[in-house]
Amino acid sequence: MNWTAAVRTAIVCLILIVMHYTLRPLLGWRASIDFLLIALVFGSVRMRPAGAAIFGLLLGLAADSLAHDAFGAGALAGTIVGFSASWLKAVFFADNLALNGFFLFIGKWVFDLVYVLMERRMHGTEMLMQIIVWSPLAAAVTALAGVVAVTLLRPILEVRTA
Amino acid sequence: MAKAARFGGRLDTVVFASCIVLALVASALPNQMRDPVAGSLRRTIVAPLVGMQQSAEKWRSAWLESERKTLERDSIALQLAQATALTVENDRLRKLLGLGSRLAWGFVPAEALHTSGRTEDVITTLTLTAGSKSGVAAYSPVVAPEGIVGLVQTVDPTMSIAILYSHPDFRVSAMSADGSAFGIVYPHLDVRPSRLAERYLLELRNVPFRSTLKPGTAIFSSGLGGAWPRGVLIGNIVDEVKESDTWSRTYIVRPAANPAHVTSVMILTPKRSAQGVGNIWADASQVQSGLRTIVAAGDSLARLATLAEAAARRAAMDSVRRAGVGDSLRSDTSALDTSLVRRQGIATPRPAPRVRRDSTRDTVPRDTTRRDTTRRDTTRRDTTVRRDSLSTRLP
Repeated sequence: MNWTAAVRTAIVCLILIVMHYTLRPLLGWRASIDFLLIALVFGSVRMRPAGAAIFGLLLGLAADSLAHDAFGAGALAGTIVGFSASWLKAVFFADNLALNGFFLFIGKWVFDLVYVLMERRMHGTEMLMQIIVWSPLAAAVTALAGVVAVTLLRPILEVRTA
Repeated sequence: MAKAARFGGRLDTVVFASCIVLALVASALPNQMRDPVAGSLRRTIVAPLVGMQQSAEKWRSAWLESERKTLERDSIALQLAQATALTVENDRLRKLLGLGSRLAWGFVPAEALHTSGRTEDVITTLTLTAGSKSGVAAYSPVVAPEGIVGLVQTVDPTMSIAILYSHPDFRVSAMSADGSAFGIVYPHLDVRPSRLAERYLLELRNVPFRSTLKPGTAIFSSGLGGAWPRGVLIGNIVDEVKESDTWSRTYIVRPAANPAHVTSVMILTPKRSAQGVGNIWADASQVQSGLRTIVAAGDSLARLATLAEAAARRAAMDSVRRAGVGDSLRSDTSALDTSLVRRQGIATPRPAPRVRRDSTRDTVPRDTTRRDTTRRDTTRRDTTVRRDSLSTRLP
């Protein structure tokens, strides 16, 4: 990845992180859009797996610092998703919106799964509802938002071709 | 090349493993150690993001608050509209209850359904929710708290149809409240299409020529026709119709009950019609006319008081002008002072006229002069008031 591409990726990630802390609270949906995860996935596929893991760890720690009892859960989930996204980029990532959306969906679901399991706050039916109902819903919304973001940020973001 | 790739792969794995370990360590940290780390992150890297989030949440709460207030305002407006309708309905039902308690027996309460088609310009029939099972018979009088409404024409077991007083076939024998004039009430049919509202008026025909009825005179059913008992209020005289044949008089009557507002009625049973209803409507109309008189008296008193005050003000102005006080500005001030004296009973010091001051400065005390002036004002004011009141009485 050259410097221009790195700067472009950084700008896109910054925009998405800002949107996570501005647009998401404004919407206030129960199944909300995770712009941090979109930023993580979009950044990770343009990095080496080691860099993506560190990026995921840092983003996760930043998010965890605002959560009271889940410090470390987001960091672990971010590390796994970032590393996996970077490692699987050759397999999954192509200049195809539907495939990008699917990958975002899986990424968000895995992130939530790791987060919920590590957080150890929910139990029984509540945890099951979160994993089976709310997490897929949030993943679908995030995937949709990611597709829209890719479409809108196409001039800045250089999408890899297969 | 392959060695470098293998090294890179190993490095990635090592970094990934390190990150996993770090994340697990972070999640396993005890609270005493976790809070300082999270706090330092919040105060440094995450601080601007937290600021943005706070602003966004403020915007959201403001938006939600505005939405809530709009909803509240809407619901209050809705409640107000419903309350007005309920008040009107409550008033109507109260009147009906009052009529029911005055009648005491021999009536069937029913709801009046306005089922006339829209093609009909004037409502002439009503559907009533009571029939022969409830004791309703054909030609039973239909009344409202205000007065007559119509007559039952068709009776079914559970419902009936009544013709209103606006129906061409409607008739009722009528009389004035004192029984000095009798006649027959007909619907007022001879109306131009542009003045359809007058179709709801009635005509009192065949009144003997010697009987003159003033506008506002209450007209009641006389009980002579058989269908209607004596004493049900029909309406009030509006005017006399000038006709060429002069053997009888015809009057226009404004009905007491408005069919458009009738939603609940009482149907008098044949037994009650035969036995009469007494002075139920006469008493009610007397109470209403008494109230109207009291209100009119109050109005005229208020008008007289206003006239008296205006006259007193004019008198004060006149007296000041006649006292020869200098320029208009001074006279205005004096007039104000005079009115104040009159209203509050305060002896306001006023400069004496110049001519007098020169001649009487040493001999006459200034207070006495002022008192004289004030007295003169009073005398003039009274005279002017009387003049004004006389002029108002004259046509």
